[in-house]
Amino acid sequence: MEMCFRALCCKGPPPPRPEYDLVCIGLTGSGKTSLLSQLCSESAENIVSTTGFSIKAVPFQNAILNVKELGGADNIRKYWSRYYQGSQGVIFVLDSASSEDDLETARNELHSALQHPQLCTLPFLILANHQDKPAARSVQEIKKYFELEPLARGKRWILKPCSLDDMEAVKDSFSLLINLLEERDFEPSRM
Amino acid sequence: MKHFLRMFVQVCLYFYCKCLWRCLKFVVRKLTGRCELQRICYNTKPGAARTMKIEASLRGSKSKRLQTSVSVHPDAIEKTIDDIMELKRINPDINPQLGVSLQACLLQIVGYRNLVAEVEKLRREPYDSENPQHEEMLLKLWKCLKPNSPLKARISKQWCEIGFQGDDPKTDFRGMGLLGLYNLVYFAEWDTGIAQQVLSDSLQPKYSQFSKAEWEKKKFDKAIGYSFAIVGINITDLAYNLLVSGALKTHFYNVAPEAPTLTHFQQTFCYLMHEFHKFWIEEDPLDIMEFNRVREKFHKRILKQLQNPEMALCPHFAASE
Repeated sequence: MEMCFRALCCKGPPPPRPEYDLVCIGLTGSGKTSLLSQLCSESAENIVSTTGFSIKAVPFQNAILNVKELGGADNIRKYWSRYYQGSQGVIFVLDSASSEDDLETARNELHSALQHPQLCTLPFLILANHQDKPAARSVQEIKKYFELEPLARGKRWILKPCSLDDMEAVKDSFSLLINLLEERDFEPSRM
Repeated sequence: MKHFLRMFVQVCLYFYCKCLWRCLKFVVRKLTGRCELQRICYNTKPGAARTMKIEASLRGSKSKRLQTSVSVHPDAIEKTIDDIMELKRINPDINPQLGVSLQACLLQIVGYRNLVAEVEKLRREPYDSENPQHEEMLLKLWKCLKPNSPLKARISKQWCEIGFQGDDPKTDFRGMGLLGLYNLVYFAEWDTGIAQQVLSDSLQPKYSQFSKAEWEKKKFDKAIGYSFAIVGINITDLAYNLLVSGALKTHFYNVAPEAPTLTHFQQTFCYLMHEFHKFWIEEDPLDIMEFNRVREKFHKRILKQLQNPEMALCPHFAASE
């Protein structure tokens, strides 16, 4: 309808938004598919475990994020690095209320990603999801447990709490990531 | 200019649908002496084509009584048929077959709606480890698929052998809830031969590309890249979407002489699992990472098949006999 109106009023198409290619990783059940679906205004109610990977174009006001979302099951994580090439940013989702063992596994995966040659220079958005659960650990606890201050020094990362019932906060977190991605665009010489 | 033309065509179609089409129906009724419902029942043989045309005709009717007839309670169908015949001024003594045909169609239409509601209810019910019935079903799934291998503990890595992602299958049922479990158990219980074959195939090494010695050296999954239970839950998702979108009407209206039931849905699931497995092997993907691409291709294939009004995906389901 808007396109019709524009055509009738002889206005051109709206200026294209910049697109960025991102990769979204995290353990199974952390909430990657649900978050991305809700950002695309799709229902997250009947989402099954992601087997393999899926690509979603997530629209924001000032950018479009082409997110390659990778399944987080044990037998799929070994294929993650195959999909890192060409990424401009990373989204890491973790379940703040998971067991100690799972949190440790998440930590190991995050550290591997931070140190991977194809990802180590990229901005990271780390989402501490499932904050609505009673057993959820706070952002401070997560920052300390994941040793982000020492390990990710010199890299650009954002750690934010989130949950599916507050999508506005999730959108704000993504806006911060988009700012980091835009900054990168203007600083090719730093690479 | 292109946009303006497109808009113009849409406006014309709208007027056609609202006004011209009704005029056309009126003229045809006067010429043939029969209303649309009668013309459909006389000209189309029983099956999905007939039921779907009747459904479209009732939904598109200007009479509220006819519009709502597609969502009545099954017990009220007879009365609804009488009302429709009266509204259309059809004499049941002169047209005895019409009432019978309409009743058969309405039973299927209403049955499909109720099946959608039943399946949705099952899907919304989350798996509960505290519920003994749920736990019993889960253990039955193991026993049917691995009769010679006892489960050592309720929480154990053994679950990965039948394709769950972790040591507690509970987390894998998200999205499809109990519906996922019910379908897997039905498959394992009533189509045991095929289910065990699919499971066994999913664990086989992919010899096509490498020799056995090479396989042992590389640290790949020694499998065709398939997790039985997770794929099963994904196929439940596929079947659920086909049902809710109405795509399965072609199949159910051809296969179920009266109202389609949950058992019909589960049998359809078994068929889809088997077909998907064959399709996966045919496609020969590199590994599990290609799952979504292969699933989407399979989905399109099934949708295309269902566009044929004569289609019945699995007319003779062996396990039900």
